[in-house]
Amino acid sequence: MLCTPAEHRLSRRRFLGAAGASALTLGGLATPAVADKLRKDRRQVLFVWLDGGMSQLESWDPKPNTPFGGPFRAIPTAVPGVHISETLPHSAKVMKHLALVRSVSTQDNSHSAGVDRIQRGDPKNRGVVYPFFGSAVTRLVGAGDSGLPPYIWVKPMSGGFIPKDAGFLGPKYGALALGDGKPPENLLRPADLSAESDDERNELRKLIDAKYAEQRRRENTEANTHAFEMAAQLQRKIELFDPSKLPQKDQERYGSHDLGRHLLLARRLLEEGVTFVKVTSYGWDSHGDHFNQALSQHPKFDRPFAAIVEDLHDRGMLGNVLVVVCAEFGRTPRINGHLGRDHWPEAWSVCMAGRGIKPGVVAGATNPTGTEVKADPVDIGGLFHTWYKALGVDPAQTQFRNAGQPLPIAHEDMKPVAEVLA
Amino acid sequence: MQPKKPADPNAPKELGKPLTPPVQIARVRFSPDGKTLAAACFDGTVRRWDVSAAEPAELPAVTGHNGWVSAITYMKMPPAIGDKLYSADSWGRLTASDADGKKRWTVEAAHDGWVRAVGHTPDTAVVVTCGKDGHIRQWAAATGKPDIEYKVGTDLLSLAFAPDSRFYVGDLFGAIREYSPASGKLGRTFEAKELHRVDRIQDVGGVRCLLASPDGKTLFAAGGEPKTGGFVQAVPLLVAYDLASGKRVGQYKGAADSEGYVTDLAWHPDGYVVGTTSGQPGQGKFFFWKPGADQPFFAGGKFPNCHSVAVSPAGDRLAVSATNANSSGNGRPKGKDGEYPANTSPVQLWTVPKA
Repeated sequence: MLCTPAEHRLSRRRFLGAAGASALTLGGLATPAVADKLRKDRRQVLFVWLDGGMSQLESWDPKPNTPFGGPFRAIPTAVPGVHISETLPHSAKVMKHLALVRSVSTQDNSHSAGVDRIQRGDPKNRGVVYPFFGSAVTRLVGAGDSGLPPYIWVKPMSGGFIPKDAGFLGPKYGALALGDGKPPENLLRPADLSAESDDERNELRKLIDAKYAEQRRRENTEANTHAFEMAAQLQRKIELFDPSKLPQKDQERYGSHDLGRHLLLARRLLEEGVTFVKVTSYGWDSHGDHFNQALSQHPKFDRPFAAIVEDLHDRGMLGNVLVVVCAEFGRTPRINGHLGRDHWPEAWSVCMAGRGIKPGVVAGATNPTGTEVKADPVDIGGLFHTWYKALGVDPAQTQFRNAGQPLPIAHEDMKPVAEVLA
Repeated sequence: MQPKKPADPNAPKELGKPLTPPVQIARVRFSPDGKTLAAACFDGTVRRWDVSAAEPAELPAVTGHNGWVSAITYMKMPPAIGDKLYSADSWGRLTASDADGKKRWTVEAAHDGWVRAVGHTPDTAVVVTCGKDGHIRQWAAATGKPDIEYKVGTDLLSLAFAPDSRFYVGDLFGAIREYSPASGKLGRTFEAKELHRVDRIQDVGGVRCLLASPDGKTLFAAGGEPKTGGFVQAVPLLVAYDLASGKRVGQYKGAADSEGYVTDLAWHPDGYVVGTTSGQPGQGKFFFWKPGADQPFFAGGKFPNCHSVAVSPAGDRLAVSATNANSSGNGRPKGKDGEYPANTSPVQLWTVPKA
């Protein structure tokens, strides 16, 4: 499905990843030297999705004392001259690791269309459904060496296998969603079922699956097989989901609320080598009482986000992990009668850090009242170019193939934001 | 043809055209002589109007604040001294001004950020502020010198004084704490837990406004019973407490989730509560509620999304700050000249019929 020469070379890493991911992992049979090499070569993503849209004015692009600036102050950060909202004091302290694009301008102001458009990179319409960023990255970068599903989505509420993210790549590139950060229910073998009986049942299931697959579309049967493989992978790493294994100090730093617990799990998954971890927080669509919402919610993003950036840095992982904080849009400068801010794709901000990203920089700007991007607006296609470049995937040289049809991996009329690339 | 509805004898009557400041407003208050109306504005000003004549005239604004001016209160003083106006903002500043707007003193960092409410003791000696920093602070009214400080630790949204000088502070979680400014001691705590809920990771609601009846018998706490965060759907809720026993003695609850919060309260000398509500854009009113009743005896208004109400000392007039129509909208709504418009808070004055 991909066609770059580099991707066709059978390196040892690829061999290990393809042939023995489930067994030959860092914690498994690899020698320390090989394990170290595998770890150094990792390309991973932490994608924090603030569903509904965090206000740029109360976060990365404050406009204090202006008509739409709201009640809050701007505070200095660890990078001289860069100020962000007072609602993000911990992020301000790790600003030296972060890069901001303050000139994001996208196309859709509805959630229903915006969520998909942003996460699929809003490419030109070619009559196919593009993959979400997570599916695309796992396809382009590889499954990695974790022995875990390569695209894990940590989210509140329910979980499950989410094949729709994969678009034309096919269901096996879908996301495994961990509802409330917990492994799927009934994952472990029941105590009253012996290992031998379980093996026998699985062998029987495989035979039946193979028979069933003979007359069905490969993508669908692959997804079914993939789900069982993922379950087996998770069974081997079940301790990841046991919070009692975590230092109390970490739990306090990240917080006991959903977003804190989920970002802490994300750190553990990234430490294990999972290629793409998406963490979603819901409830950011603050059409009413927005400023009190910001006072309540922003700290629940700010503390664990700064903590994970610090932790990735302290562990030497920021060189491997691209960190992105994104949503479907920002929020209107105009403050409505319910003291809310509505949907605003016209001029908003995205924060990133880590692999391939120049730390401590701000690219682009809005006008003094925050209603317009000053110059060179960046659409999501430009951000996809930026993120792929940061991951070492050149969008100019790399294409997807869908049933023989070559497809660009990012909108071909757009370009990366050079100022934030290392 | 529909029969003509009889006129509501309780309905207030519009008094002239609305005041139309080009900004949104957090609070409106009458001066103690009823001649001036002050408005705490989102542009860091306290706008003032002479409302003693038929046609209100704008007076020089109190300037120098940052962010939003979030709280104001007048203090009645002997004529030789002159009435005072205390204003506080969302960046933490507290300012005392003369009735003519001339500044007397300022404390730049009275709080770390948003000052939610300001009030004063009936004897005019002490000004009290509370803020999102979780602190209550007392200040010498004449000089701004800091006095007692109380550390509560939760977002403190509202404040009201009883005539015996005890004061009450309401927080985000529905707790109302009683303090004595002389002793600096915490007294009783009243609970209105239904004014708060956690939705996903958002704390929603809180005690948005407090009012003590002038006879000191009743405390009113109001906000909304939240259903969701985000859009913030809430049913307006006003709870009355008997201050002697500490027991609840009645409540008024709105009808629909879209109505939102009770945003401000004032006492009318005829013995009833005047309140404002604001919910989903387009929703909101002011109302008259007699303690003990299930429902208000009047509810209405000219503009939606009402955020503040003031009753003149004589009770003959009230002022309501609301919001222009069509205040919401995703994307880029344009004004008639193609500009990106800000929303504003028209202020309507009303005459109030004698109860």
